[in-house]
Amino acid sequence: MAVAAAAARVWGSSRGLGRVGLLLLRRSGARGLARSHPQRQQQPFSSLDDKPQFPGASAEFVDKLDFIQPNVISGIPIYRVMDRQGQIINPSEDPHLPQEKVLKFYKTMTLLNTMDRILYESQRQGRISFYMTNYGEEGTHVGSAAALDSTDLVFGQYREAGVLMYRNYPLELFMAQCYGNVSDLGKGRQMPVHYGCRERHFVTISSPLATQIPQAVGAAYAAKRANANRVIICYFGEGAASEGDAHAGFNFAATLECPVIFFCRNNGYAISTPTSEQYRGDGIAARGPGYGILSIRVDGNDVFAVYNATKEARRRAVAENQPFLIEAMTYRIGHHSTSDDSSAYRSVDEVNYWDKQDHPISRLRHYLQSCGWWDDEQEKAWRKQSRKKMGCKCLPESVHCPPRPWSSDTRSTAAQWAGQTLVSGSMCFLALPLTTSSWAHPFSSCLGLLTSELPAS
Amino acid sequence: MAATAVTAGRLLRLRAAGAEGHWRRLRGAGLPGGFLQPASADGDAAQRRQVAHFTFQPDPEPLEYGQTQKMNLFQAVTSALDNSLAKDPTAVIFGEDVAFGGVFRCTVGLRDKYGKDRVFNTPLCEQGIVGFGIGIAVTGATAIAEIQFADYIFPAFDQIVNEAAKYRYRSGDLFNCGSLTIRSPWGCVGHGALYHSQSPEAFFAHCPGIKVVIPRSPFQAKGLLLSCIEDKNPCIFFEPKILYRAAVEQVPIEPYNIPLSQAEVIQEGSDVTLVAWGTQVHVIREVASMAHEKLGVSCEVIDLRTIIPWDVDTVCKEECFLNLEAPISRVCGYDTPFPHIFEPFYIPDKWKCYDALRKMINY
Repeated sequence: MAVAAAAARVWGSSRGLGRVGLLLLRRSGARGLARSHPQRQQQPFSSLDDKPQFPGASAEFVDKLDFIQPNVISGIPIYRVMDRQGQIINPSEDPHLPQEKVLKFYKTMTLLNTMDRILYESQRQGRISFYMTNYGEEGTHVGSAAALDSTDLVFGQYREAGVLMYRNYPLELFMAQCYGNVSDLGKGRQMPVHYGCRERHFVTISSPLATQIPQAVGAAYAAKRANANRVIICYFGEGAASEGDAHAGFNFAATLECPVIFFCRNNGYAISTPTSEQYRGDGIAARGPGYGILSIRVDGNDVFAVYNATKEARRRAVAENQPFLIEAMTYRIGHHSTSDDSSAYRSVDEVNYWDKQDHPISRLRHYLQSCGWWDDEQEKAWRKQSRKKMGCKCLPESVHCPPRPWSSDTRSTAAQWAGQTLVSGSMCFLALPLTTSSWAHPFSSCLGLLTSELPAS
Repeated sequence: MAATAVTAGRLLRLRAAGAEGHWRRLRGAGLPGGFLQPASADGDAAQRRQVAHFTFQPDPEPLEYGQTQKMNLFQAVTSALDNSLAKDPTAVIFGEDVAFGGVFRCTVGLRDKYGKDRVFNTPLCEQGIVGFGIGIAVTGATAIAEIQFADYIFPAFDQIVNEAAKYRYRSGDLFNCGSLTIRSPWGCVGHGALYHSQSPEAFFAHCPGIKVVIPRSPFQAKGLLLSCIEDKNPCIFFEPKILYRAAVEQVPIEPYNIPLSQAEVIQEGSDVTLVAWGTQVHVIREVASMAHEKLGVSCEVIDLRTIIPWDVDTVCKEECFLNLEAPISRVCGYDTPFPHIFEPFYIPDKWKCYDALRKMINY
């Protein structure tokens, strides 16, 4: 009461303290519908305590001048479940997924790899205008996609085709979009790899980077209001994370308490710009806490680590209405796109290391083999089957499918044009090199195909 | 005396900063009000008048929409927002400072009435506000975003032009953000200077995929805003801030729609066509009556209302170009940033417009 009297003397009743000596000042702002994490509270306001009263921070005073040293030598540790040879390190972290699910992981990653090679070659042969491969990052796509519900909305950047593939998007539609033909659901309006699928809750890709980040947050807010039990996942690269939209998205997600997973694929390069020129802090994961976001760094080439982290983030994001940040460390084995030749800015040795020593597909295959769920016979059969799917069926269909016409009147003209300019007859894309035990990265496949001509019609 | 009468026409009413509510810190608060005095030959200082460059002319009370109430423009906006939130349970309003009622009082009372999950503040980030709004709209919910001043819409330009405008087209209609509306205070206010006076509609006027709408009055504002909110395309609704309090008229309490992309011929005429939008409509109305009085010229006055897609048929009947007797004249601000103390000289006031009209009929 003495405190109250003193406070009233200092501030007077006009301040609204009145009879109440102590006033708990709450931070105003939107409150989540199901908020269970602690909110920031003001200390009770009293001029007699020598404690900080600033509304802007909850902290103690210190009398020693010391700048906080950012820790980039020993950064946030990288969570992993398997070692590079595909062996589980800590059995309690093994998600113990059933065989069919893990086989689906493997088949999705390898089919994606095959599709990438076929479409990359398509571009090289002038059949499509442009392509971006996903080599080396298949684990990030499949691990995260598998941990989500099929109705969770996905906002991607451009290197997440494996997410769509995991959701069983038909190969024909991937190719239709790249060819811009009449089967494309996007109606031929965008460059290749700008996939979208309403049915599978995959928002159409757009070229500007990071614009999807605040959009994902808005979608998450709407999902929260609708009590939809739905998480929104937002993929982006470490380069896109430098955009202002990324900062905007993180801050909005935290302040507005949105059930969104920010999934950063840190693959070492933004076209030619290495991470040392992209940021100077401890990657993207270290930024999360600055916004008040729970964050983790995972081994992106370990599909189980990606799966576990995404699964837990999803569970908590929906239950607690708060954002999560997952930084998946990986490596972009391929070029940025068909317009890029990455030998101009990195060594073939560096690329080979990742292709041979730390590849998500190889690591999972070792795991499968050690479980007795896969062997060389099945590997051979599967390679043949996936090539057949792509090479003998989808590709010729796409090649011969007329491009989307300007209007229905011109459709017949377009079909005529298509027939004249594209090579008719069988396309023999089985000239893909059946090389090694690993799924070859684009360099060797490029060399192989340069020497094998396609049959003319 | 005639000369001083002309300069008297340039007097401005400078509003007190506090009257509008909070002005944003660090972005140049308006100075407290004052007024310019006319120089007068006999030194008589008794005639102190505050005169804006226009006189708001209310439209007659609308009878077809039920009971009306006297409202100014910001109250008409509040009414439209109130109607929207009542009708559409997915609708949310967000932006900087909207929770306490907004710096122009457009959202007063809405948070208490509809809840803090529906009317809420965002961090200070326009690109985030619009991006966030697009995301809400992608899920099908109605998003009403506020950009505190049109001068600050530029950080959101990428999200508006590259994302919102193109969402439906680029996805082949698989996705869209049609339920997004962006509202923003717009235009000169007497003392706003470079960053509280801009009219940026021209930057958006050539971007297919969005609609840009500007009302001239409270009645127009409510009907047009409701149409924007219900329109299946992302819309930008610019609200002339100088009219927030200055424009008062009878406005229906119930919701009603004024169609978009339809200009309104406010006054029929046969000699000259005058086209404007927002505050300027009241300027050209006065110019039309001046022309009628002094020159015997009959002016057609058109309020464009929707800037894009614009009502080309009303403004420009087919073959009109073959029938024009003078080149089209454009009266606007100068090619400089919007000045502070020189606003009276910058504004395309009725004298400049009248002068252009006179030159035109003497062409």
